[in-house]
Amino acid sequence: MKVFRLCLILMLLSAPAAYAQGTAQEKTFNAESFTLENGMRAVVIQNHRVPVVTHMVWYGVGAADEAPGQSGIAHFVEHLMFKGTDTVPPGEFSKRVRALGGNDNAFTAQDITAYFQSISVDHLETVMIMEADRMRNLAFPPDDIDSERLVVLEERRQRTENNPTGYFFEQMRTALFPNHPYGNPVVGWLHEMEALTHKNVSDFYKKWYAPNNAILVVSGDITAAQIKPLAEKTYGVISVQETPERNWTSVPPLLANTRLVMYHPSIRQPLIQRLYRVPSTIQDKEISLALEVLTSIMGDGASSRFYKSLVVEQKIATSAGFRYSGTAMSDAVLRISATPTADTELETVEAAIDDELRTLVKEGVTSQELIDAKTRLIDAAVFARDSLSGPAMIFGYGLITGGTMDDIEYWPRDIEAVTIEQINTAARQFLDPDNSGTRPHVTGYILPPEEKEEGAVE
Amino acid sequence: MRFILQISLCFLLVFQVTLAEAKEKLLDIQEVTSESGITAWLVEDRTLPIISLKFSFIGAGSALDPEDKQGLARLVSNTIDEGAGNYDSQNFQKTLGDNNISLGFSSGRDSFGGSLMTLSKHKTLAFDLLRLALNEPRFDAEPMERMRAANLTRVRSALSDPNWKAARLLNDIAFAGHPYAMNSGGTLTSLQNITVEDLKNFTKTKLARNSLRIGVTGDITAENLKTVLDQIFGALPEKVTLPAVKDLDVQNGGEIVLYEQDIPQTIIQIMQPGIGRKHPDYYTGMIMNFILGGSGFGSRLTEEIREKRGLTYGIHSSFYDMEHLQALSVSTSTKNESVGEMLGLIDQEWRKMKDAPVTADELKDAKSYLIGSLPLSLSSTGKISGILLSLQLDDLPLDYLDSRAGKINAVSAKDIQTFTKELLTPDKLTIIMVGKPEGVTPTKIVDTLPNVE
Repeated sequence: MKVFRLCLILMLLSAPAAYAQGTAQEKTFNAESFTLENGMRAVVIQNHRVPVVTHMVWYGVGAADEAPGQSGIAHFVEHLMFKGTDTVPPGEFSKRVRALGGNDNAFTAQDITAYFQSISVDHLETVMIMEADRMRNLAFPPDDIDSERLVVLEERRQRTENNPTGYFFEQMRTALFPNHPYGNPVVGWLHEMEALTHKNVSDFYKKWYAPNNAILVVSGDITAAQIKPLAEKTYGVISVQETPERNWTSVPPLLANTRLVMYHPSIRQPLIQRLYRVPSTIQDKEISLALEVLTSIMGDGASSRFYKSLVVEQKIATSAGFRYSGTAMSDAVLRISATPTADTELETVEAAIDDELRTLVKEGVTSQELIDAKTRLIDAAVFARDSLSGPAMIFGYGLITGGTMDDIEYWPRDIEAVTIEQINTAARQFLDPDNSGTRPHVTGYILPPEEKEEGAVE
Repeated sequence: MRFILQISLCFLLVFQVTLAEAKEKLLDIQEVTSESGITAWLVEDRTLPIISLKFSFIGAGSALDPEDKQGLARLVSNTIDEGAGNYDSQNFQKTLGDNNISLGFSSGRDSFGGSLMTLSKHKTLAFDLLRLALNEPRFDAEPMERMRAANLTRVRSALSDPNWKAARLLNDIAFAGHPYAMNSGGTLTSLQNITVEDLKNFTKTKLARNSLRIGVTGDITAENLKTVLDQIFGALPEKVTLPAVKDLDVQNGGEIVLYEQDIPQTIIQIMQPGIGRKHPDYYTGMIMNFILGGSGFGSRLTEEIREKRGLTYGIHSSFYDMEHLQALSVSTSTKNESVGEMLGLIDQEWRKMKDAPVTADELKDAKSYLIGSLPLSLSSTGKISGILLSLQLDDLPLDYLDSRAGKINAVSAKDIQTFTKELLTPDKLTIIMVGKPEGVTPTKIVDTLPNVE
């Protein structure tokens, strides 16, 4: 029961879809799919290495669907999904899964909420029965709501309040997404979490949890033909329920670059991070693919442009990152970050980042860089299949946020098709340090408390 | 009602199936020995065109770092793949990256090792890069300084993390007087003392075939592996004798040590003497820990402290099994106001586990999970090679996984009761706190963290 840090999921997803050796034209996973009569979609990815499965249910609801003033409710409901139904007592769900030799958990992000169990294939039906049961029959015992509210408050303290960088990144996202739900933390703002009522959570659950707003994903030692009858008698008997439009998807433009500076007494190591809002895959697939290849050139490994320039050649930083993942329903985030060496000012590092971006925008990437990046991305894809839960994550997240099976299956083919012009156009459009256009950025410095005054005395 | 019936029926089925399956062979492990006598454990698996190789040199860990050069083994692990043979740092790393070869080294307290993962089509190159890193590391000044700087920023960054501080303090207090008390990641001063000579000396004097253990999984035959083992490891020295490290018991039992910091939530680490894999009661301990706090949901600590009272987001207990020290530890956190209550509840559960037997249901569910979940840890190439390596590091036999279920099933509630009466020492826990806790009186307050500056 974690709030998956969005970036964590995004990293997982930007680890490319798997790809068998051969040509980039082939399907990667050969996943099967079907749709139940009530509209619930199902995806099956076969993997017969050991007789186990990962079973996931993804809901098309997340923190971004919370009403103003009720931040944290999506994640709170996720926790309460373990607090029992009419037939399963509070806390029993996970205990039963454990007693069957399985592991279970759940996570919430801005766009999604997902529940999963990894378990012997012999017990798949049992967990499907229990998962289907809690799709409509949550009990919400008042005492458990009260004690679980304390748990999510402890979760927020652990992730954010106790940790100055956690706090700071939360502030940066708020600045990047003004007047948009992505600006709220998934775990919620402390004072709003404290105020969430029994009625708030049960209304939210009833409004969003329905088979037609969910996707079943099973990865492991099983076929679609075997799962379909099980799905029909568990999820298939739940009636359709209309769920609201998710109409929060447009973000007001940022019209100025924003700079946040935080001095904190427990910080010893300064850090710079810069966030850009850029198109997600469903907003603009062509740009998104170009940004994925660009990310590999700029930020993938010790010979990437940023690491080579800032860390190896100039020696002004000890790490330098450039990350993008396009899996989001609204704008996606591109993040640049660096840790300066002991005697380097953050301003110096930021100037060097801007110089690298300037070079990129003026000269573009080289054809050799493009070839190397494509090979890395497409070849690496085979590793994604070497996992039980990895492919289930990729399909669940991709489909529930509006992507298609083909977006995932033919990802290597699509990467292969990216051109230098597309990359250079995207770089000019979003990353030109001398012309932020309609896509300004938010840049944050986090520093130890200022020593300037003492310095001024001498 | 029908739902409940179905569940209980399943429970019965499950149990039978689990017991039956446990008799089948879980992994087809081959012991492969090369011409020159290097041994590896192998599971051939053609599911994907991938090979994973993991290895470890026993005894070559950070416990041997000189006190004024803490972080030496770590710095070696960071720099050994930054240039070797004719490849300088950038060439080495770019060749790895462009061919999707993952090569990484790591240092533990008791061992130094590495992990290689490659597509079959790049295996020749991958094995050769590993050979070069082990036999001809360059340790050029440029990457060495870069890695030193990265470690210094890592230590400074960690200082904003109260969990890291608590772990640092726990090592210092619970392992007082022993090399394990040192900072294996180095201190801001000790990292500056390490020279290129030290790195070269480390690989020359600490890595040898007599302490090497290897696990391999994936798209490779036993015949091919024999040749590969000699290619990669054949030129290493036959034998080195490493300095002995003494055994240790958990220190400072009964002490409550606080590092005060103005944060809303207090981090709590607790330790007492435990047992390791070589102990005859290992499985008894494994089941006891699962019931006490190892399982997360369903464990007594999680039920009492998180589920009933909402005092924490997470509480876990685990055995801490090192070569020279075995401990039982608990890790958790709670808002400052609740620390007294939290410690009282942990004490209560410690005494309950010591004084009364576990219930039949607890025992049954624990066994069922510990046996039934094993295949989940065999679901990827890297996981399997990791298990092959750890079995060897623990001196376990080739058929260990197949005999494991029987040993778990043989444990009775009475065994656990006898075990906990002897093991658990609720009056002599070593307790570490970072935060501003209320409702508890520390026996000692420290205002600087040892082995950091």
